[in-house]
Amino acid sequence: MGMFTEPIEVTRAANGIPLRVTWQGKDYRLVAEPERWFERRKWWEENMRIPRGLGAGVADYEMWRLQLVSSEGRGEPFSVDVSFDAQSARWRLVRLHEQHARSA
Amino acid sequence: MSFTHLNVASSYSAHYGVSTPPQLAAAAHAMGAEALALTDRDGLYGAVKHVAACLEHGLRPLLGVNLALLDTPGRAAGRIILLARGNSNGAGYADLCRSISQAHQAPHGIPGLTRRQISHRVSAGNLMLLVGGESDVARSLVRGQYVKARALLADWKNLAGPMLRVEITTHLSTRGSRYHLGEAGRMLRYADELGLKAVLSNAVRYADPDGAVTADLLDSARTLNSLKEMDSCQPNGQGWLKSPREMRQLASEISRATERGWMRKLLQETESVARFAVLDPASDLGWKKPVIPEASVLGLHRPAMQELTERVYAAVPRLLPGEKRHDVEKRLSLELGVINRLDFAGYFLTVAETVKLITGLGVRVAARGSGASSLVNYLLGISQVNPLAHDLVFERFLSDTRTTLPDIDIDVESARRHEIYRTIFDSFGEERVSLMSMQNAYRARGAVRDAGAALGLDDGQVDGIAKQLWRFSASSFREALAEKPELGELAERLAADSQLDILIDATERLDRLPRHISMHPCGVILSDASLLDRTPVQPSGMGLQMSQFDKHDMDLMGLIKLDVLGVRMQSAIAYTLEEIARLHPDASAVARAGGHADTSYIDPAGHIDLARVPLDDAPTFELIRSTHTLGCFQIESPGQRELIGKLAPTEFNDLIIDISLFRPGPMQSNMVKPYLEHRHGFAPEQFLHPDLKPALAETHGVTVFHEQVLRILDTMTGCGLGMADVYRRHLGNPAQEPAVEEYFRANAAAKGYSPETIDKVWEVLAGFGSFGFCKAHGAAFAVPTYHSAWLKAHHPEAFLAGIWEHDPGMYPKRLLVSEARRMGIPILPLDINRSTGHYRVERIFEYAPAAAPTVPRAPGTLRLGHYGVRLAFRDIHQMSEREVQRLVAGQPYEHLAEVRDRAGLSRRTYQNLAALGVFDSLLSGTNRADTIAHTQSMARTSLPAKYRPGPGQLTFDLGQIEHITNTGAQLEPAEIIRTELDLMHLDASEHLITSYRQRLAHLPITQAIELLHLRNGTEVLVAGVRVATQTPPMRGGKRVVFISVDDGTGCIDATFFDDTQQRTGPLLFSTRMLLIHGITRRTGPRGISLQALNAWDLHQPETLPAAGYLENTARPHPSYRPKLGQSPAETVGELARRMNAEGLDQRGAQSM
Repeated sequence: MGMFTEPIEVTRAANGIPLRVTWQGKDYRLVAEPERWFERRKWWEENMRIPRGLGAGVADYEMWRLQLVSSEGRGEPFSVDVSFDAQSARWRLVRLHEQHARSA
Repeated sequence: MSFTHLNVASSYSAHYGVSTPPQLAAAAHAMGAEALALTDRDGLYGAVKHVAACLEHGLRPLLGVNLALLDTPGRAAGRIILLARGNSNGAGYADLCRSISQAHQAPHGIPGLTRRQISHRVSAGNLMLLVGGESDVARSLVRGQYVKARALLADWKNLAGPMLRVEITTHLSTRGSRYHLGEAGRMLRYADELGLKAVLSNAVRYADPDGAVTADLLDSARTLNSLKEMDSCQPNGQGWLKSPREMRQLASEISRATERGWMRKLLQETESVARFAVLDPASDLGWKKPVIPEASVLGLHRPAMQELTERVYAAVPRLLPGEKRHDVEKRLSLELGVINRLDFAGYFLTVAETVKLITGLGVRVAARGSGASSLVNYLLGISQVNPLAHDLVFERFLSDTRTTLPDIDIDVESARRHEIYRTIFDSFGEERVSLMSMQNAYRARGAVRDAGAALGLDDGQVDGIAKQLWRFSASSFREALAEKPELGELAERLAADSQLDILIDATERLDRLPRHISMHPCGVILSDASLLDRTPVQPSGMGLQMSQFDKHDMDLMGLIKLDVLGVRMQSAIAYTLEEIARLHPDASAVARAGGHADTSYIDPAGHIDLARVPLDDAPTFELIRSTHTLGCFQIESPGQRELIGKLAPTEFNDLIIDISLFRPGPMQSNMVKPYLEHRHGFAPEQFLHPDLKPALAETHGVTVFHEQVLRILDTMTGCGLGMADVYRRHLGNPAQEPAVEEYFRANAAAKGYSPETIDKVWEVLAGFGSFGFCKAHGAAFAVPTYHSAWLKAHHPEAFLAGIWEHDPGMYPKRLLVSEARRMGIPILPLDINRSTGHYRVERIFEYAPAAAPTVPRAPGTLRLGHYGVRLAFRDIHQMSEREVQRLVAGQPYEHLAEVRDRAGLSRRTYQNLAALGVFDSLLSGTNRADTIAHTQSMARTSLPAKYRPGPGQLTFDLGQIEHITNTGAQLEPAEIIRTELDLMHLDASEHLITSYRQRLAHLPITQAIELLHLRNGTEVLVAGVRVATQTPPMRGGKRVVFISVDDGTGCIDATFFDDTQQRTGPLLFSTRMLLIHGITRRTGPRGISLQALNAWDLHQPETLPAAGYLENTARPHPSYRPKLGQSPAETVGELARRMNAEGLDQRGAQSM
């Protein structure tokens, strides 16, 4: 399993569930129902300010585990963990699971 | 389908919940919920606010509690929730209250219930038990102890049977932490296996996601760990009040991890529990329905109304001998009619019964507030003011338009308050009485400390900031930083240090959140035997049970609250009367001592019945007019002394007016100036309309009292005094005032008043707003004001002792030393054989003829200098009450060895007493300095207890075994004063300022006593000890700081405007000994104050100005100068601010 963080683009459906992913210029689609969880964010180390009204995403990151396959239909499915930072509205790729790491 | 949150903590779960009940209800309403539960930790502290907020938003309320589950040693093994069954005629709610009260009786400090107790509690079917994410089951699951978890759940099933629901919660946290999806799924599976029903919750702690950060801060404060060190609190920030759609999505995720079909079941079961628990406020909670003690408890053998009527008529001949029968009957039929229609007779009898209990203890009682408007109250002995004599309006207190119980507040001697409470509990019975509680919320200081600790900031730095946060709310902290010169240094640091920015944000988040409840300083709840079914109680600091509800909850819950307020002045008066009787043990001796021509109010044993003292005593008013009113109730503050000086009261009604004028309303709406001008005949009286003359004559046409507003409204619209009081309460309320204006204009016009008159009168009414003052309240307050002044004029020595003993005022005790000097009363030093634990008046046999005192004494009183006040052992630093008792019990002492032998003092106390000269009278041939040296060289003062003689054993007379060496050392006066200040906070031997005279010798210092003779606008330097600092709250404008200093000849009140504050910086609040440069401003015939231009710290001689300062052209000049001959408008505004700062309503009341 590889651990790193780099930008990734995730498109969501109306109910918030991820639909498609663009990563390193390539498009991927989901092949299984994604799983979500929320991971602790240490805002006291990362934030300079915490005024009232910051909204969601200060105390946690929204995380999704996605089973992806290339939109072109080639290659093995692989899974990634992506995080969404509600404060900056940016997606990051944080983990690439073993299967793909080997093949990549 | 809607979703009902069954597990919701509000901010009333102290150090846990973030949002207030109204915020939660508003959020639930906004997302389309139909019902909402509140399940705060440990109690129903927020329950009434929750129900009220739900009703406002059309939500159906549910109530429950989140309680610790205690294991056998009394430790918390998890937490569970109990939900009250609704629509059960209060049975569910009653069981909830009883369960909570029981939880607070847990023996080991942690409130909670054992499994067995819970089982017993739910057995009646009135409480639903939720075992969920905080339970012992979930704890085991998180630890991976699956077998144990299943066994625990099975055990719950046995204990609670059909009343058990498994509560499933997921915050979609990471694997291995609480509220993880897998844990929720596993719990649901176990429930299914055991055939238990399950509900879905979100274990809510905040209304929206933004609250997660605040919850982290609260977790840190609760667990006393910094955020960095904290690992066991919320796993992420998902504990908010999620929408029905979001909750359905969670249910779907849980069902995907278990069985697809379970989603529907989970949601349905949640709603079915919600239906079980929906409360009907009226039938379940007794919403807004007052409950009074049973007739049998009040000793009634006939209907309450009949009893009340007969009692008041029976008291007429005794209490109203001089009033016309017709007036009395007319008034009583009005009052009794209203009381009868509202069915409040039982309430009045309850209050009367309580007052009877208190007076039965021999305690002084005085009713305050609008209750004094009622003749019924006067005849029942509840109030001491005859409303007919002072023309008080009953409708201001009670009328048919009012549906809630009126407040009757009772002032008692503060020193005996606890004794009174115990008596009330004993006579009504514990099942009917409880103390009221109050919520203590985070204020700026506490918030910054906890925020700093959470962020792991340096303690010293945070402490420094906390100390500066003097009377700001945290939310105005940033603003304060920008504006306050004394925070300048901090503001600079802040700019340099980014950590402080986040600290302020965190502080603002914590600000005003509830921290804990405590006993309300005066509220006692009286009810019938169902009280403990209607409020949970917990032990108070003094041991008696205390309701979890606060004063805002009382009316809504139908609870009758009586304010039994401890007032130190009442204790001081009681003590003074005791001293008078002790010194002069018969009526004629008292009359001689006090210069009383009339002895009708003195009993044969020398006790004065103040209630019978005439209210027109000339020497008393002379004293009041002199403005030497330090120690007198309500009229001792600088602002009041200024007003008294201008008003020059000559009769009791003037005192009522004075007290009523000294309020923000009259001050700000400029009533004082016209009133004073008309009063002193500088300007002719003007009435808004001749019809209003009867209402306004007593205040020369100026509207001062609520009662006058009622009469104006009634006269001009014919609305009746009862409705007039309703309209009065709407004045000043932006939402309601326009309707009042419309009504007033239309009806006054219909009665033929001209548009000009209507405009003028409305302007007065609108300007009056809701402030102004209730004359009945002023009258009730004026009684102790008059009594204290009367005692000060006639029995100054005893009065001073009383003031010293109970310290009722706003000033530090040391100012009273100066006052004693001005009164010409010797202060007798501490003495081993003459001092006791109390301040006593003492006859002086070798007196020196004293100069005429500054403070007037009534003619014919004791000759000056024959009596003095002996200082007491009680206020000596580090001397315990038990040491005082032992020392006094061992009196008299012949030599030091006896003190060592009998008094059992700690070494430190022994040394302190020596330093204060307590042993001086035992010395022969040596002096105080020698004794001090001696006590300091001693290894230990007293024998260990086991070597001390026991009771019955003879003490071996050691004789003068202590050998004190004559060292020849002498103490400097300055040294003696410093010791007195350190150990007693008093400078008894001479004034503190004396020792600073040397370093001020090069400057022309003006004394307080000389100030009054100076012209307005004279530039002076004054020096003194700070005695009071007042900072009125800023209202948009610049802050003004008032500092009073005392220089031994009197008090000097100095006003610091913004430019001067900039000049003086931090010393404004931190310095004790001040040199002030200022300009005199005359405030009245007997009043003068300073507008300060600069100030220095006397402890920093190097910073003091050089000789010739007042000629130095570089010295500051006033940037604005009040017009010569005074500008009353400015003075009035300033008085208003000053008055505000003095917190009139609170003074005299205190919490212990």
